[in-house]
Amino acid sequence: MKLPILRNFIDNQKPLFVGQGKYSKWFPIFDAIENFIFSSKSKTANPIHVRDSIDIQRVMVIVWLSTFPVMFFGMYNIGDYGLNYLNTIGASNTGDWHHLLISIVGYENPTVFSKFWFGAVYFVPIYFVAFTVGIFWEIVFAVIRKHEINEGLFVSSVLFALTCPPDLPLWQAALGMTFGIVIGKEIFGGTGKNFLNPALTGRAFLYFAYPSQISGDRVWIAGLSDQNIVPEGYSGATPLAYAAESGTNGLEANFSWSDAFFGFIPGSVGETSVLLIAVSAIILLMTRVASYRIILGTLIGMILMTSILNIVGSDTNPMFNVPWYWHLVIGSFAFGLVFMATEPVSGSGTNAGRWIYGGVIGVTVILIRVINPAFPEGMMLAILFANLLAPVIDHLVVNSNIKKRERALAS
Amino acid sequence: MNDSIIKTLSVAFAVCLVCSLFVSFAAVNLRDTQNLNKINDQRVKVLQAAGIYDEANTNIEEQFSVLEAMFIDFSNNQIVSAIEGLDLDSYDPVEYSRKDGFFTAIPNDEDIAIVKNKENYGKIFILRDENNLINKVVLPIRGYGLWGTLFGYISLAADLNTVEGLEFYSHKETPGLGGEVDNPRWKKIWIGKKVYNNNKNVSLEVIKGAVNPQDQNIDYKVDGLSGATLTSRGVTNMLAYWFGESGYKQVLENLKNG
Amino acid sequence: MANKYKEILIKPIIAENPITLQILGICSALAVTSNLTVTLIMCVALTSVVSLSNLFISIIRNHIPSSVRIIVQMTIIASLVIVVDELLKAYDYETSKKLSVFVGLIITNCIVMGRAEAFAMKEKPFPSFIDGLGNGLGYSFILIVVAVIRELFGAGTLMGVEIFPLVSNGGWYPANNLLLLPPSSFIIIGLLIWVIRVFNKEQVEEKDFSLSKHDVSPNYEKREINV
Repeated sequence: MKLPILRNFIDNQKPLFVGQGKYSKWFPIFDAIENFIFSSKSKTANPIHVRDSIDIQRVMVIVWLSTFPVMFFGMYNIGDYGLNYLNTIGASNTGDWHHLLISIVGYENPTVFSKFWFGAVYFVPIYFVAFTVGIFWEIVFAVIRKHEINEGLFVSSVLFALTCPPDLPLWQAALGMTFGIVIGKEIFGGTGKNFLNPALTGRAFLYFAYPSQISGDRVWIAGLSDQNIVPEGYSGATPLAYAAESGTNGLEANFSWSDAFFGFIPGSVGETSVLLIAVSAIILLMTRVASYRIILGTLIGMILMTSILNIVGSDTNPMFNVPWYWHLVIGSFAFGLVFMATEPVSGSGTNAGRWIYGGVIGVTVILIRVINPAFPEGMMLAILFANLLAPVIDHLVVNSNIKKRERALAS
Repeated sequence: MNDSIIKTLSVAFAVCLVCSLFVSFAAVNLRDTQNLNKINDQRVKVLQAAGIYDEANTNIEEQFSVLEAMFIDFSNNQIVSAIEGLDLDSYDPVEYSRKDGFFTAIPNDEDIAIVKNKENYGKIFILRDENNLINKVVLPIRGYGLWGTLFGYISLAADLNTVEGLEFYSHKETPGLGGEVDNPRWKKIWIGKKVYNNNKNVSLEVIKGAVNPQDQNIDYKVDGLSGATLTSRGVTNMLAYWFGESGYKQVLENLKNG
Repeated sequence: MANKYKEILIKPIIAENPITLQILGICSALAVTSNLTVTLIMCVALTSVVSLSNLFISIIRNHIPSSVRIIVQMTIIASLVIVVDELLKAYDYETSKKLSVFVGLIITNCIVMGRAEAFAMKEKPFPSFIDGLGNGLGYSFILIVVAVIRELFGAGTLMGVEIFPLVSNGGWYPANNLLLLPPSSFIIIGLLIWVIRVFNKEQVEEKDFSLSKHDVSPNYEKREINV
């Protein structure tokens, strides 16, 4: 398909940005815009994306699109909980700037659309800020380092936004994204050279920098932390918090497994619905963007570690008896597994390495969730930890392959 | 020449001699000041817990002299002014809770605050008014938080039930979260809270989140430290243990009855 | 001559900074920088140890047998550290409690040993003293910068004096807790190294291996519309 007007316009502008052109400094921005509209016939000649030969733009767009089901469901779920909460305390005003936008649709008689709208009013600004701040840093580094602006940002920013609680102040979103992009990615050389997942790096920064605003019982329901009124018997605690408090009993007393599976539980925007995450997983696996080895490795590691802890048991720590099928549906296990652990750059690159890498994540996430008293959720830390190990795992796998071949050759 | 055995030995000897003289001289000369610092440091914490510390007055010994230190004999829960072989001024219950023959291991089911060993002799600081009646008492408490044991002092008013102040002098909690036990605003909340309810059970607790001002039991509830559930719970357990049957409960009863 | 001393003194502050160029003494830089007061005391302690140990070692440098030279240096350094620790306990008990083992750990601080071995064993006493002073100041400079950032943005205070009133105290500034945790110093020191090397190109290390270059001039043949 050709769009001659647009094509000609871009071609006419090009000389300004190339070589000795007036705006040659800004070439990366021009290039990004052109690249966004037109795809290049020429494929990557040198290994930008050292792990894989597939076109990076396509990978990123597939991942980006595959987050849509969880994103839309997440917005609905925020609205469902948020409106329900406001209704419980008898308020029809969120009491902050969100109200201006929510009042367009209104609070009464919540329909699917008004819930969705409510959630969108909370989520979209976070995503917008994350994206804008991300693109800002991307442009700064692209101009200074003279490289192209990359579509990876679409993915980093949406994943970052999806892991945030709905009440996150926007300046924190900006700060987290800045940290993720600059410290997690750009200082190591930009896209394809980051050894940590940028979205998770940003999220981890927020987690450690502002723990009281980003964890606990209050932050998962839109409006709860602002209003500060907790009606008797009402709790914004996530299933994970119940599990840490009173184990399986606490979980089953407050949520049904199917609720957790379908996603009708409080939590980060994108993490609640395991069903929709599974749909995204299928898309990512079919398009071969995600590695099934990492996903299976993580699942096996998680189930194995949970079973061991179930058998060992503990009198003082109720979390020991939570079975694996609950661990699968609570917290960000499923989300992290499908969207974060499978990120090809920061994960292991060898096939055997991917199994080990996944296994490390699965085991670590359960260890942190169950045994570490300070962090109820372990998926973020487990993945970052495995990210750090990934090069070592690959190194060992490659070395053992070399030795195997040497032996085969010698005999 | 430098590497001959005689030279090596004599240089080594001379360096060691000079250095050891230098170090011992410093250590011996400064020991008294250091010990005084150590004692005064504890005294300041006790005074702060009692709410009578005057920062402007640097003479801590004089400030502290209004408080009367006493031993608690946990075998009969009586307060005594002397125990044979122990020096009241320098006696540190925490130190003696680790010393052979001076502690009792706490049975697991009673040990809610994970104190592990309880000293046989405790210590109490009493502030008396002009009529020689008890005005305030300060008691040492400790218990496990998130990363380690918190050590502190709590002071009670004349009714031996109302909290007058709480001060931790050593803990390992996360800065900004559990570390907020040191936050002056949080410590202020404690003043005026009651330890025992009408049935003489320990009811004072740190709850999750903020206390509802309309709550009937507001006297027994303290705002939780945000983001530090386990530290908050540790403080609650600490109170439950130390003011419970195996802690100071009987001691306070006996003190009240004269 | 005066110029030479000046150079010895100034050079280690930025150009040959023991922390940002030689990456020495990192451990105490992580541990003692959450509060500026504590940091300042630590800086004074380290500066005095490194300059005095340099001085004493240099005085007897011609008599130290090479077979036991490390032990002799260690003995002198350790004695100085113990005395500094004792002095702190006697005259600034509060701070010494916060510094806990980290004063004692000056003994293992690579800067002290490194300067003794690299400079004091060869040079005359006075230049050695100046060199120790310079390195101590270089160490202090980085620590103070890290401490100011950590305390100001982590706790809203400087030397315990409130600058930004915290939200938890009824003010407006939400404290950044990450800065109160020791690993944040790693990130701050890393960023400092980055800044220094942007202006001081000769500090940039040679690459162990080269990353493949980003394509600066992509192929300009016509592109097709994205669908």
